[in-house]
Amino acid sequence: MSQEAILQVRDLHVEFETNDGTVHAVRGIDLDVMPGETVAIVGESGSGKSQTTMAIMGLLASNGRARGSAKYRGQELIGLPERKLNRVRGEKITMIFQEPMTSLDPLYRIGRQIAEPIIHHRGLSAKAARARAIELLDLVGIPDPARRIDSYPHELSGGQRQRVMIAMALANDPDMLIADEPTTALDVTIQAQILALLADLQKKLGMAIAFITHDLGIVKRFADRVYVMRGGEVVEQGATAALFAAPQHPYTKMLLAAEPTGRKQPVAAGEPTLLEGRDVEVVFGGGGGWFTRSAGEVRAVDGVSVALRRGQTIGIVGESGSGKSTLGRALLRLLPSEGTVRFGDKDISGADKRAMRPLRRQLQLVFQDPFGSLSPRMTVGQVVTEGLKVHEPGLPARERDRRAIEALKEVGLDPAMRNRYPHEFSGGQRQRIAIARAMILKPSVVVLDEPTSALDRSVQKQIVDLLRDLQKAHGLSYLFISHDLAVVRAMADHIIVMKSGRIVEEGPTDAIFDAPREPYTQALMAAAIDGTPFRQAVQT
Amino acid sequence: MTTDTAIPAEFPPAGRSLGQDAWLRLRRNRAAVASAIVLLLLAFAGIVGPYLTPHAYDRIYPQYVRAPASLEAYPKEDAIVPAFQRVLERARVEIGEVEVSGTTVRAPVSSGEPLDPRIVRYVDRSDLFSNARLEGEDGNALAEGATSGVMVANVQRLRFLFGTDANGRDLLSRILIGIRISLAIGVLASTMALLLGVTYGAIAGYLGGRIDNVMMRVVDILYSLPFIFFVILLVVFFGRSFVLIFIAIGCTEWLDMARIVRGQTLTIKRQEYVQAAEALGVSDAGIVRRHIIPNALGPVVVFVTLLVPKAILLESLLSFLGLGVQEPLTSLGLLIAEGASNMRGAAWLLIYPAVTLTAILFALNFLGDGLRDALDPKDR
Repeated sequence: MSQEAILQVRDLHVEFETNDGTVHAVRGIDLDVMPGETVAIVGESGSGKSQTTMAIMGLLASNGRARGSAKYRGQELIGLPERKLNRVRGEKITMIFQEPMTSLDPLYRIGRQIAEPIIHHRGLSAKAARARAIELLDLVGIPDPARRIDSYPHELSGGQRQRVMIAMALANDPDMLIADEPTTALDVTIQAQILALLADLQKKLGMAIAFITHDLGIVKRFADRVYVMRGGEVVEQGATAALFAAPQHPYTKMLLAAEPTGRKQPVAAGEPTLLEGRDVEVVFGGGGGWFTRSAGEVRAVDGVSVALRRGQTIGIVGESGSGKSTLGRALLRLLPSEGTVRFGDKDISGADKRAMRPLRRQLQLVFQDPFGSLSPRMTVGQVVTEGLKVHEPGLPARERDRRAIEALKEVGLDPAMRNRYPHEFSGGQRQRIAIARAMILKPSVVVLDEPTSALDRSVQKQIVDLLRDLQKAHGLSYLFISHDLAVVRAMADHIIVMKSGRIVEEGPTDAIFDAPREPYTQALMAAAIDGTPFRQAVQT
Repeated sequence: MTTDTAIPAEFPPAGRSLGQDAWLRLRRNRAAVASAIVLLLLAFAGIVGPYLTPHAYDRIYPQYVRAPASLEAYPKEDAIVPAFQRVLERARVEIGEVEVSGTTVRAPVSSGEPLDPRIVRYVDRSDLFSNARLEGEDGNALAEGATSGVMVANVQRLRFLFGTDANGRDLLSRILIGIRISLAIGVLASTMALLLGVTYGAIAGYLGGRIDNVMMRVVDILYSLPFIFFVILLVVFFGRSFVLIFIAIGCTEWLDMARIVRGQTLTIKRQEYVQAAEALGVSDAGIVRRHIIPNALGPVVVFVTLLVPKAILLESLLSFLGLGVQEPLTSLGLLIAEGASNMRGAAWLLIYPAVTLTAILFALNFLGDGLRDALDPKDR
């Protein structure tokens, strides 16, 4: 290595004091970042990849402690007093975060938020700082920056906010940018745009980027070198191409192979239709409903027709705000809607809560967020058996317990865990609990609302396998809502592409993936599946 | 098939709930733990104390009006002789030199006529002396018709650690009974506010829409009633009673609780686990009971620890104004009110009840702070 590394981390440890004793989040890792290069730190949740950078930036939670050494151009950062540290962070090393919704202060205009660090670090006048802010907004591709600079964060879309975050990070011409999962919360098409922007900016400005992600697809197209982390240690590192071509460590191999595989065979044409919606419409708004962002009516689902046959899996794909979750809930009569919904041979369009209650047993729902969908005050056993209490109130406690054991075993959990509380489980385990809660009632239709989106890749694969096994064993019909095309491809035999509440395209899985007709579908496929590195895409 | 069923269903490992987690955090908070201990001790003193003190809280000692707080027993040595003389003067006998030895006092008495043995009653009537008897000079019982003898009496030693009040009642006993009454009112009023407020708020928040609107407007209307006015009205209507006080306080304090719980409910009902319960077909009552109320309890518990001191203070205010508990029963607020009026000459009448009340309030507030920190999910 001819060049001096701008960031040199040696034997870094991070520990947290908790109720259960010390948790060793990072266990002595070494890391180098050369000027102008892109380093990816890859790992699943809990691998310590974020805590590593937090420790370098001095941003650990109050119960955290860092040991070891992290040098920026020879200057030790660990244990540096706050004032000196501030001269490095925010000026030489800057950071962008995962959640663009919460990392901007909603009370200030974005211009002020960008200008503040410029004024602070460079001592520019307010006017000069504003000019610089406009320049930066232009740089990150915000249209009409002179007007946009006076917007509040809530007036911008998620992608635009992430651009503003990047503009803030670039304000002082940093040597190094730490990007902590900057695209995870964004839709696939926006994700691609943001990554292309980062690649482009790096080429123009020549800074180094440390890119933290769990998504190997991004790494492959974006990074020069990769560090693979697991359990607080670096298990493998190397140049991206070499590492992807010949992974050494079994964990890396497992990560690379974690893409869900397999295809679902279409069901026979003679299978009866179980759940059918015709011209379903859901309108929010008027009197300030649940999801109204702006005043006035929002037509979340606009004349959609779906027919789910027994044993079938319909994948509904689309970006956030396309109305796919709303459609799922409208079909289960959890939201009021227009149009006809039929379950079996019953018309349930006008059914109220009471009339729906006996049918709920047949129609189940699994949610996206395994952290939010389990009540934190109930034990797993109570969570799983709640449905039984409703639908079979006469069941003795012993029998309920036996069914819970059965259901937990079926989803691959140790039934001995049923007296524990949800917060003691990992994301994947919680999602299994949520699935067990639905399965214990032996439903015939399950709406899966992004059941794998909040999970790590390797866990995703397990959940997909589990769902497939359950479908085979019980002849279930799934309505699989997701923005993740790889998962949908593995799960569904029929696909509906939605945009702004309407169906854009629909057809058998292979037809949609192999020969998308509509430009929107093509764009979606290109952003998600396309293997071209972003840099090349930028250059052409 | 049979091998698989051998699951130790009897003793599955119990998990640690959020409550237990919070408890662990609370235990590490020294101020909160100390406060909890102080509170427990005070509550124990309030419950058991009145039975252990030598004086009943309503016993009046006319000789010891406003006796200052003292570790020594009353009467003081130098007060015995003049008191004994004063008593014997009433008996119209001539008195020799009074001598005090240990717990007995003796003085030679003589009269022109034979001594009437009934004069011992003059001595017995005093709070200071008991078991008065007339003896001959030789120590035996007085002979019939003797004109001189020795008046012997036991000195009754009484301790007033906190002194006595303006009516001559032991302040310590009164403070103990005051702790009992004040804590009882605080806890009962808070419980009432808790039950009313949590149920009302959870129902309003969960049902939402027009029902919520109507229910919360009712709360707004009740809010606009002046508290004191409301209490006076109640007292005039139903007469003064202990039950009425905590009903009055509970009736005004549940409004805050209802608002807090409603706000919590509004956020909780959008949580996915509530939607999941809806999708399972759980009834509204079941959702409110099993999901909404348990998850709203964190802030509620904190609010209750702050509500108890508030109720105690309100009771003090009512008692201070003469609308609270009735004499001879007392509460800390009443004691402070009495102390305030006797502040000039008898500062201890103000100091001891005030210190007790302050200790209770401090402890409750510290405990509330500790609970808030312990239950705060952001710290997790």
